[in-house]
Amino acid sequence: MKTAATVKKNRSRRSLSKTDRFTLATFVGIPTLLQIILLWVPAVVTIILSFTYWNGIRLKDIQWAGIQNYKNIFFDNPLFYQALKNNAIWLAFFVLIATPLGILLAYQIDRGIKGHAFFESIYYLPVVLSLAVIGIIWNFMLQPGGFVQGLMGRDIGNAISIWGNPKINTWVILGIASWRHIGYIMLLYLSGLKSVDPALKEAAAIDGATDWQIFRKIILPTMQPVNIIIVVITLIESLRAFDLVYIIYGSPTIFPLLNLLVFQNFAGQGISMKGAAYAVILLLLCIVPIITYLRISFKEDLK
Amino acid sequence: MSEEKNVVSRRSVLKGAAIGGAALAAGGALSTESASAATRLKGSTVKWTTRGGGATGDKIAKAVNDAFTKKTGAKVVAQQVNSDDFQNNFAQIMQGSPDDAFGWMAGYRSNHFGEMGLLEDLTREIGRLKGSLPTAAIKGATSPVSKKPYIIPTTYYPWGLHYRKSMVKDIGMNPEKINDWDDFVKLMTLTQKKGLVGYSLGAKGGWEAMGTFDILNARINGYKYHIDLLNGRAKWTDARTKETFKYFAQLIPFMNENVMDISWDGMRDLLLQKKTGAMMMGSWFANDFKAKSQADYDDLWVVPFPEINPKFGVDTIDAPLDGISVAKNGKNVTGGKALAEFWASPEGITEAVKAGDTNIYVSKSFDTSGYDAFNKQKLAVLASAKNIMFFLDRDARGDFAGPVVGPAIQSFIKKPSDINKILENTQAQWEALPKN
Repeated sequence: MKTAATVKKNRSRRSLSKTDRFTLATFVGIPTLLQIILLWVPAVVTIILSFTYWNGIRLKDIQWAGIQNYKNIFFDNPLFYQALKNNAIWLAFFVLIATPLGILLAYQIDRGIKGHAFFESIYYLPVVLSLAVIGIIWNFMLQPGGFVQGLMGRDIGNAISIWGNPKINTWVILGIASWRHIGYIMLLYLSGLKSVDPALKEAAAIDGATDWQIFRKIILPTMQPVNIIIVVITLIESLRAFDLVYIIYGSPTIFPLLNLLVFQNFAGQGISMKGAAYAVILLLLCIVPIITYLRISFKEDLK
Repeated sequence: MSEEKNVVSRRSVLKGAAIGGAALAAGGALSTESASAATRLKGSTVKWTTRGGGATGDKIAKAVNDAFTKKTGAKVVAQQVNSDDFQNNFAQIMQGSPDDAFGWMAGYRSNHFGEMGLLEDLTREIGRLKGSLPTAAIKGATSPVSKKPYIIPTTYYPWGLHYRKSMVKDIGMNPEKINDWDDFVKLMTLTQKKGLVGYSLGAKGGWEAMGTFDILNARINGYKYHIDLLNGRAKWTDARTKETFKYFAQLIPFMNENVMDISWDGMRDLLLQKKTGAMMMGSWFANDFKAKSQADYDDLWVVPFPEINPKFGVDTIDAPLDGISVAKNGKNVTGGKALAEFWASPEGITEAVKAGDTNIYVSKSFDTSGYDAFNKQKLAVLASAKNIMFFLDRDARGDFAGPVVGPAIQSFIKKPSDINKILENTQAQWEALPKN
């Protein structure tokens, strides 16, 4: 397959006509330009601004701050470490529990267990909702005076503390986020599984491989491209988590996440370039593991 | 401010406005404006933003704006925006193409943006309204840095200790006499003994508990210390600040256990459902009691937060001042200024009140003779104080109040024993702020 691709590539390069070149330039050039203007320029500006003091209003008020914003975040701000911890727990939970569960569900449904269409639609349902809507739904159910609290016979005075209780809020929030994430992963994996040649599985089964062996030795390797997507999505979803928590709390301080801190310091009334510094920290946290992972995966592919 | 609320002058101004009609109005918007400005105004379009308020807000805006149109011939195009969204995107809105005039808040929120060149200096307009505006309100609307007002003050409301008279009677106390710390603690203790919440507090939004901190600090250390603290002239690590948190810690055992789960509306519901003895809150929620039933509203009462340090008595109150500002980037600044002035003028206020505005106006022209008992009590609570604070997130800079002080108070409520570390962090974060 590799050689076929190279041959094809060489051939198309040779036979590029004027129109082809124009089309190529338009289709690659315009998106690249837009990408640079809308993404890379702001990103670079944000990185530069993170080393300044500024309230976001008059350009002439920008003052050089050196590493003061970062120093302040790392040494004086307890919220930063709480946010880091929450994001790390979120990531670990998604990587170790939610994503594997999604894969497991996809695998089971693909095997055509009884009522698989029913299960599929049940698990998929939350995926069509945005996290913001999910936040509204669960807040409505669990907040003091909410539906679930009411069912338990608790009014606002003696409502069980959920969102504000550090012992359980992390797990409740992760449960809700997983509710959607599992379905999402399941769907992605399921579409990959459909393209796995059933003959491979049959052959392995005839050779006496167990279910687990088939999954590990046959399915997982053939699904490599989907696996890459899933790992990247899990990483990004965990690090950029924002909407669900913002809808539930409205402010970033009880359950801080890095993205909430970016927002709090960058938008609204408290604009300072600490927000830019948080954004840069978040960017690095997202980009470094993803690039590393992609490079390793693609290197393996080329072998 | 009470001595300035002269009943006689208030009435006479009203009468003057009524008799003189639109063109004559004594303190009216345009009487001293040059003729050319008036011609420029005629036929022009002024844009107005109402911050929240629902249908009533729109109705009030329409009444006042129509009266302005009738008087000046300028057309007013009004819109209502979500208050929080407007507030959070204020800098961006003001840098874009904002409406000419809008309801806004005094304190850091107008001073800062005025100094940044986004709001118009309204010295001349306020000068023309001097006859009806008390000096304290003008002072409150004036930036201490640039000495210029960027807002024309219109309304304010008190933060006080709210409770239900029937509940206080139930536990055998006199609802008219919750004066000092001992009365207050007794009220909370006896309420708690009945299985209810002694002192209701919410901190989910991060700002609600600031009200309790403000008043404790002002009662214990005085107005000057509090304002100094919020502006970096006193230290968070000072023993006096710690003393305030010692009192705050005494309140925690009386609080509901879900402080971090509820916001101001949860606090209100606790009182509405007779589940708490007392709460510290701005009186704006009283309309919700009225909406539930007249009996609930009649049962509601407010007193100044009790005295703690006799040296300061009850001389200070959180009474956020609102008003009208004019955007520098508006298309019709002349029109915006005239409209702002009209809103704050006796004529404008009369129109607003007629349309159902229940706010307390600072204007001396404002007629309170028809007030019910609760509103009269609000005035009394306001009058009891000689120092007016605007609430922590208006008295302190925006990049400090929300991102630093709010979370600090939340951490304190979660774990009061950490207070020393929390205050050290707060002070460190103040010192890390850019000086501007």
